[in-house]
Amino acid sequence: MFVLRVCMMAIRSLWIHPLRSILATLGVIIGVGAVVAAMAILEGMSARFRAGFETMGSNKVFVTPNIKRRHNRLVGSFDSLKMEDAEAISRSCGKVDRVMPQISQSGALVKFLSKNTTANILGATDAYPEISSHHIREGTFITRANVRGKANVAVLGSKVKKELFAGRPALGEKIRIFGMLGARTFTIIGVMEEKGNVAFTDVDRQVIVPVTTAMEKLYGLKSVQTIVVEAVSAEDTDITAASDQIKRLLRQRHKIRAGKDDDFEVKSQKDMVEQVGQFQSIVGIVLGSIAGISLVVGGIGIMNIMLVAVTERTREIGVRMAMGAQRTDVLIQFLIEASFVSFLGGAMGVLMGWGFANTIEQLTRVFETLTTGLSIGMALAMATFTGIVSGIYPAWKASRLDPVEALRYE
Amino acid sequence: MNDSLIQIRKLSKHYLMGETVVRALDGVSLSIQEGEFISITGHSGSGKSTMMHLLGCLDRPTSGEYWLDGDLVSEMSDRQLAVIRNRKVGFVFQTFNLIQRTSALDNVSVPLFYGRQTNVREASMQALEKVGLAHRATHTPSELSGGERQRVAIARALVNQPRILLADEPTGNLDTRTGRQIMELFHELHRTGVTIILVTHERDVALQAERIVRMRDGQIVEDRMVSEDLRDEWFSNVGQETPDRSPPPLARPAGV
Repeated sequence: MFVLRVCMMAIRSLWIHPLRSILATLGVIIGVGAVVAAMAILEGMSARFRAGFETMGSNKVFVTPNIKRRHNRLVGSFDSLKMEDAEAISRSCGKVDRVMPQISQSGALVKFLSKNTTANILGATDAYPEISSHHIREGTFITRANVRGKANVAVLGSKVKKELFAGRPALGEKIRIFGMLGARTFTIIGVMEEKGNVAFTDVDRQVIVPVTTAMEKLYGLKSVQTIVVEAVSAEDTDITAASDQIKRLLRQRHKIRAGKDDDFEVKSQKDMVEQVGQFQSIVGIVLGSIAGISLVVGGIGIMNIMLVAVTERTREIGVRMAMGAQRTDVLIQFLIEASFVSFLGGAMGVLMGWGFANTIEQLTRVFETLTTGLSIGMALAMATFTGIVSGIYPAWKASRLDPVEALRYE
Repeated sequence: MNDSLIQIRKLSKHYLMGETVVRALDGVSLSIQEGEFISITGHSGSGKSTMMHLLGCLDRPTSGEYWLDGDLVSEMSDRQLAVIRNRKVGFVFQTFNLIQRTSALDNVSVPLFYGRQTNVREASMQALEKVGLAHRATHTPSELSGGERQRVAIARALVNQPRILLADEPTGNLDTRTGRQIMELFHELHRTGVTIILVTHERDVALQAERIVRMRDGQIVEDRMVSEDLRDEWFSNVGQETPDRSPPPLARPAGV
């Protein structure tokens, strides 16, 4: 009852000076708005990354060259992983089920007669369909013999097939793929089923060729980019065991002495998801600091308006005291008023931030933004808290007024 | 302590102004019975405002005792004084001091609100009825005339059924006719048993009370019951000195 009445009083006194109230809460509005928008964008991005990594399958381990950025320069070799490494992993790591060395190149020109399209070239092995759960729709997939023999054969993603051949049959036709070493002719032996996005790439826009062919004939590479490994299960213990076996084997094969760094990296899908989480919390801390600063600025605005209000309403405070208001009543009244102003500012900020995030989403259409209840609740709580903190001094000042002096105030 | 409603003994209030001590109230003793209609009068600086602040429990004396309704309020804490003001004192001010942009009804309910009472609406409405303004309950002060505003203020002062009604120049901001109506309202309230203390520098207003206390330099220089003779004497004097401003004897208080 008391609080309700005080809230009504707060609304009334805000309503008397609407422009002034809005200006005073501008800091809170903008601060909260910016944070809510940024949180929504961040959450949306993270959700997309997480979903992307999840499509890769949770029993996957990825072996890549160990490239680090030091003093703005890339350190390490891109050439540390060889085809033989992949074969060795497959042969001697007990916790490993399937192994696929791969290279990929985006935006390669692919030509059929006079028709052109761009596609991602994936150099893979016969393990691809199982490892990626992406299967052939017509024809056959690349065989082990194709890989060994560096055959000029290609399997098309469904979109590439549609673009180059429309409804006509593609099997047996010859296409030209333009790599670093010039154009090469490939015979189409298969077409993949439709699948959509896997780990941020549209696999339907892919042309799959034997990894050996891609290395030697298209790109002139002596090494593979990634060795995709499937562990025997998605259990943490099996993933860890598989990773350890791979590390031990590769250190031995690459003749890395004890104490030296690996020239490769082994990451599980879980590690990648965790990295997203780390990235998210770093951005979260940065956003939090910005929010903190803007709320301090907002708080100063609130304190300012409350000090003005206390001075303006000195006489009213005197009257209230004469009517029996306790000092604590006056204190609480102004505290509630300050936190209410700030809460309203926060609410406006939430609406603004949410609207901003949605606008970004509509404009970019890259990812969905995610305004969570948690971020709204936190924003409102922080705004209210700001109001209380910045209201303490003005409210205390009001409560310490001498009733006789306050009644005399003109 | 006797059974007076108000008992003041050697009450003093001293202020320090620069380096001189101002004795705003200097050893005043006074007792007021329940149901009295008393006016405290004097020129500005006579100490009547200080007297009102002390009687209204807005301030504490430098020395002396003030008993109100059996409580020694001169020794009370801020917190206790606020409770006494809420329950036992009703204030009426010269400038009405209503809260702006707030309906008459809500203004009247302010003391109930601070007294944490529950039947706020009903009690406030009754108080407004007592001053004849029930029909204006939803109007805000700016929509009311001066006289109506003062009536709302009186309703607010009465809503908690206080032991004393303390009015500080209640007609000071009103024209003569409206002022007279407000005084009539005070007489009516007095007839229903309300104890009224009227602080005014206008002698013609002061003379409408049953008893008049005149102050000068922080002390009581006159304390007498108001008789017909006293009134006639004063009004005839005024009539000669300021012929343009001759308030006629107003509604006579009952029992005088």
